[in-house]
Amino acid sequence: MARSSSKDAQDLFRALWSAYAATPTNLKIIDLYVMFAVFTALIQVVYMALVGSFPFNSFLSGVLSCVGTAVLAVCLRIQVNKENKEFKDLAPERAFADFVLCNLVLHLVIMNFLG
Amino acid sequence: MAQDLKPSISSFSLPKTLKLKTKQQELLIRVATLALIYILAFITRLFSVLRYESMIHEFDPYFNYRTTLFLTRNGFAEFWNWFDSESWYPLGRIIGGTLYPGLMLTAAAIHSLLRFLRLFVHIREVCVLTAPFFASNTTLVAYFFAKEVWDSGAGIVAAALIAICPGYISRSVAGSYDNEGVAIFALLLTFYLFVKAVNTGSLAWALGSAFGYFYMVSAWGGYVFIINLVPLYVLVLLVTGRYSLRLYVAYNCMYVLGMLLAMQIRFVGFQHVQSGEHMAAMGVFFLLQVFFFLDWVRHLLSDTKLFQAFLKITVTTAVTVGAVALGLGMASGYISPWTGRFYSLLDPTYAKDHIPIIASVSEHQPTAWSSFMFDFHILLFLFPAGLYFCFKRLSDATIFLVMYGLTSMYFAGVMVRLILVATPAVCLISAIAVSATVKNLTRVVRAKSPAVQSGSTKGTSSAKGSSKGVIDNSQPFQRNGAIVLLLGAFYLLSRYAIHCTWVTSEAYSSPSIVLAARGAHGQRVIFDDYREAYFWLRQNTPPDAKVMSWWDYGYQITAMGNRTVIVDNNTWNNTHIATVGRAMSSYEDEAYEIMRSLDVDYVLVVFGGVTGYSSDDINKFLWMVRIGGGVFPVIKEPDYLVNGEYRVDKGAAPKMLNCLMYKLSYYRFGELTTEYGRPPGYDRARGVEIGNKDIKLEYLEEALTTQNWIVRIYKVKPPKNRW
Amino acid sequence: MSKLIFVFLAFIPLLCTSFSPERPSDRRVLVLLDDFAVKSSHSLFFNSLKSRGFDLHFHLADDPKIALQRYGQYLYDALILFSPTIERFGGSVDAAAILDFVDSGHDLIVAADSNASDLIREIAVECGVDFDEDPASMVVDHSGYAVSATEGDHTLIASDDFIKSDVILGSKKIEAPVLFQGIGHSLNPTNSLVLKALSASPSAFSANPKSKLTSPPSLTGSSISFVSVIQARNNARILISGSLSMFSNRFFRSGVQKAGSPTKHEKSGNEQFFTELSKWVFHERGHLKAVHMQHHKVGEANEPAIYRINDDLEFSVEIFEWSGTSWEPYVADDVQVQFYMMSPYVLKTLSTNGKGRYFTSFKVPDVYGVFQFKVEYEKLGYTSLSLSKQIPVRPFRHNEYERFIPAAYPYYGAAFSMMAGFFIFTAVHLYSK
Repeated sequence: MARSSSKDAQDLFRALWSAYAATPTNLKIIDLYVMFAVFTALIQVVYMALVGSFPFNSFLSGVLSCVGTAVLAVCLRIQVNKENKEFKDLAPERAFADFVLCNLVLHLVIMNFLG
Repeated sequence: MAQDLKPSISSFSLPKTLKLKTKQQELLIRVATLALIYILAFITRLFSVLRYESMIHEFDPYFNYRTTLFLTRNGFAEFWNWFDSESWYPLGRIIGGTLYPGLMLTAAAIHSLLRFLRLFVHIREVCVLTAPFFASNTTLVAYFFAKEVWDSGAGIVAAALIAICPGYISRSVAGSYDNEGVAIFALLLTFYLFVKAVNTGSLAWALGSAFGYFYMVSAWGGYVFIINLVPLYVLVLLVTGRYSLRLYVAYNCMYVLGMLLAMQIRFVGFQHVQSGEHMAAMGVFFLLQVFFFLDWVRHLLSDTKLFQAFLKITVTTAVTVGAVALGLGMASGYISPWTGRFYSLLDPTYAKDHIPIIASVSEHQPTAWSSFMFDFHILLFLFPAGLYFCFKRLSDATIFLVMYGLTSMYFAGVMVRLILVATPAVCLISAIAVSATVKNLTRVVRAKSPAVQSGSTKGTSSAKGSSKGVIDNSQPFQRNGAIVLLLGAFYLLSRYAIHCTWVTSEAYSSPSIVLAARGAHGQRVIFDDYREAYFWLRQNTPPDAKVMSWWDYGYQITAMGNRTVIVDNNTWNNTHIATVGRAMSSYEDEAYEIMRSLDVDYVLVVFGGVTGYSSDDINKFLWMVRIGGGVFPVIKEPDYLVNGEYRVDKGAAPKMLNCLMYKLSYYRFGELTTEYGRPPGYDRARGVEIGNKDIKLEYLEEALTTQNWIVRIYKVKPPKNRW
Repeated sequence: MSKLIFVFLAFIPLLCTSFSPERPSDRRVLVLLDDFAVKSSHSLFFNSLKSRGFDLHFHLADDPKIALQRYGQYLYDALILFSPTIERFGGSVDAAAILDFVDSGHDLIVAADSNASDLIREIAVECGVDFDEDPASMVVDHSGYAVSATEGDHTLIASDDFIKSDVILGSKKIEAPVLFQGIGHSLNPTNSLVLKALSASPSAFSANPKSKLTSPPSLTGSSISFVSVIQARNNARILISGSLSMFSNRFFRSGVQKAGSPTKHEKSGNEQFFTELSKWVFHERGHLKAVHMQHHKVGEANEPAIYRINDDLEFSVEIFEWSGTSWEPYVADDVQVQFYMMSPYVLKTLSTNGKGRYFTSFKVPDVYGVFQFKVEYEKLGYTSLSLSKQIPVRPFRHNEYERFIPAAYPYYGAAFSMMAGFFIFTAVHLYSK
């Protein structure tokens, strides 16, 4: 049972890897950006678990800036990805402009919240 | 002569440029109608300004007015850090951190804009007219919202309905300078922008809805409704299989940015991550990430079997992690449980048993059917009809509207105050019903008979002939029926308009600080006792005098009397209020000790025995006893009742006849004849002759009794000199 | 009549300088007597007052021309009632007028005797002193009586049970006991301001000396007071004595020997007792004033309108004592200040510089609210000082919190790295194909 499940897991992993390799480069760049953001968020959470949550507003602003960045980048990926039927008549420039606007707002609020 | 005229008549046709195409005509009609609706919404709320004067109504608006005044005089930085030492003496109140600043900032912004345009208006006028102005704006938002959900016809009907709906007017009349006036606008705007974002999947609209949410959070504590309804809606969409990437984009952007923006308000603080009431949104956020991730993986993998395995693993992990996190959070107390206020929404009897302060507010009582009828009129039966239409044409937007309508109606049934939140939903859904019905009816009325053509092309079989005959006969019947129904609909809507105007004029335009009644000859008598008392306080007492009264009047005393109060309408400190309640319910000497410990100089009571005013302190007295007894067990409610009955006449309980509130209300009243044919000391509000007429005050002396005995102020005497 | 008016008019300029908060000692004293024989039989007492500069006006108690005030102004600074048998005062004086006189800050000496009238008793009751109800009773002490040549009924008592206060009775110890013959009184237990200046010994009791005792006497033991003093909340002082003859020349000059004690004193302590006591009653001693209550932040000079939590502040007040002629600095080590909001958050003893200035400094507590600086000084025999100044204390402003906290550097770093990442990402995204 374990062997079959591990074989399944390996199959799964290989299938995923090969499918992912087929994605276009610009999407991969966005994915890298998202991983960077999520990774930074995880580091902060671990740090908070070690040190304690004072000052809480700085912790929240740090984590939320990472989460916000990741989320907005994922939204951009969705809108820019040519395979998504729902967004086929959305110009990528428009998508990028929205993305930039949202990020501006995000970072301004983070600066205010950082304390 | 006639020949000369003829060509001129024929050439007297509109020049080509003014002749409009149908589309432009329709636009003109729509814009004109909307403009009229805008003006109507503003005008219908001006009854009290025309009848009395431009003044602030009720109790809470006085606090809002005072803070807005402070803001315009001292600027934003001082306002944000304002520590008020004049209320809740001696505890003080950090006003900057314990209020929702949206309303004050809006009014101050309008005020400074007007000043910039060189229109020097006093801030009070701006405050009085802020709510009607935002009500007009709400009609515009309602138009766009209904247009987004259904079509522009429904939009216009929605705007018209919400412009005069009494449920909304009750809290947005001119002079009612309260958070809800602005908050309903923000609520509808947020919902509209969010539905637009879900429909288009655009980040810009989602950002707009995040800003709408921020405005709502800054304006009213009812923002919790949004932060719970939107996740619930997303959940429903996920459950009904309507997950889409547009939904993902809209919700994520709105949640993250909205949450960040909301935490900038000091009063809200970290509640979005720490309070149990906000956890639904976070849970749905994570759920949506899981959905997206699974969707993406399925898109990547072509083999469904592998995907099933993957799905199983992921779902189990996600659910366990989520449950563990939530459980840990609640158990360790990090995530605070639901507060009493919201608990009482789910269990209406909770407040009466546990939190008498919440139960004592008249707006928090469950709604009676008569209130629904009063506030909604025909919308009450148009609402189910609209729901039917929404279900017929299900889309993401109509599902949202249905959910908003159902949840808000449930809460409106629990608390009278929340009819306000249900009003936009009811108006929108009813508008859909009206618009769809009228559209169908007019289509029937305007239909050319197609049965004639079909009969000529097809063969004339007997069945067809008979059916053709039937159609031919029923066509005019249908048309007439449609015309009759249209007239009926027109009649109903006009009755609605009459009802709304009547309700606004009679019930919702009273400033409640100025009372009106009909005199003996039918002329109107105005009682301005409240303002008389507050201005007396302002002009005749030392500036650092402290006034003790029941918390209802706290805001008005600080705003108009400009004196320090012990407790006010913010009711944040139950023990302090219970101390005042205990003082009012004790005998005079015990009460004197309590008043000396609080440095009280004056005591203010409201008494309606002469005028028959029924919202006076004697009628509220049992709540004082309950709240005082909730913290100090020496005060026991049965001591003041006789066989469970609350009486003030000869048969009343002895503790009732000698407590401080009784003495202060009825001091010297026993000598007064209030009504012809009744003995002196007849209390017109309770309808009885009072029991203890010979009242002597040992530690207090009477300072002011207003013209109609409504407000009575007593001075606390210093301690005896030789004793 | 016109002469009287002229006399009064002449005294009006003096009225302005006689009694004021600046010079709290009394000047003009009205003495009401039953008959003018008292003036000569008690001349030692009156002369001691006159020698200290008091202006005594003697009138019969039922003189129809006496008045305490005219047109709202009080004509005298103090009142001595040596008229124990008066039923009704003359002129505009009555019990209510006398009590108003006291309540407006003036002093009173009342002497009752064995035939004290109801009026005198009523005045005493209003001041917290209850005389024995039996009009014929006197205080009898069979073991504390004064030894005399004749065998008396032991109503002449020698008492040395003085109140322990140097302020009230002077710093010099009264060696000889004080002679007393009259009615006794007890203090009303609900009254917190009345004190016994001279109390009876435990063996004393109050009864009619001429008749046999039928029931146990109501007043017994050391709850009987011979002389009581009251300092009212507005610092008016009242002296109530149960015997008029205590003030007489005869008692002042007589020798005394307490029963059961071998020492025979040449002179009784009455003169010293009453001289010192009258100095206290007429505010020549034990009268304090507090001025210049100030507070300011450390490093600043003027008083702020509001403090912030955790501020450091300094508080000072100046207390002076009236010596009879001038204000002297008051020196004590038990003056305290409270920083009070429903309960004292800070309680500090003030240190003094010897010249009447008391000061201290402390840190504002971590609680915000409306506080009061309270100095409540109530020492036996001294005027009570009750000063308070209200000052609000605010919490931190939004820009007064700590900034750039080292523990939060990772969060700052994360936020800035996100911003940097965003810039880099946009550049890459825009310029890559």
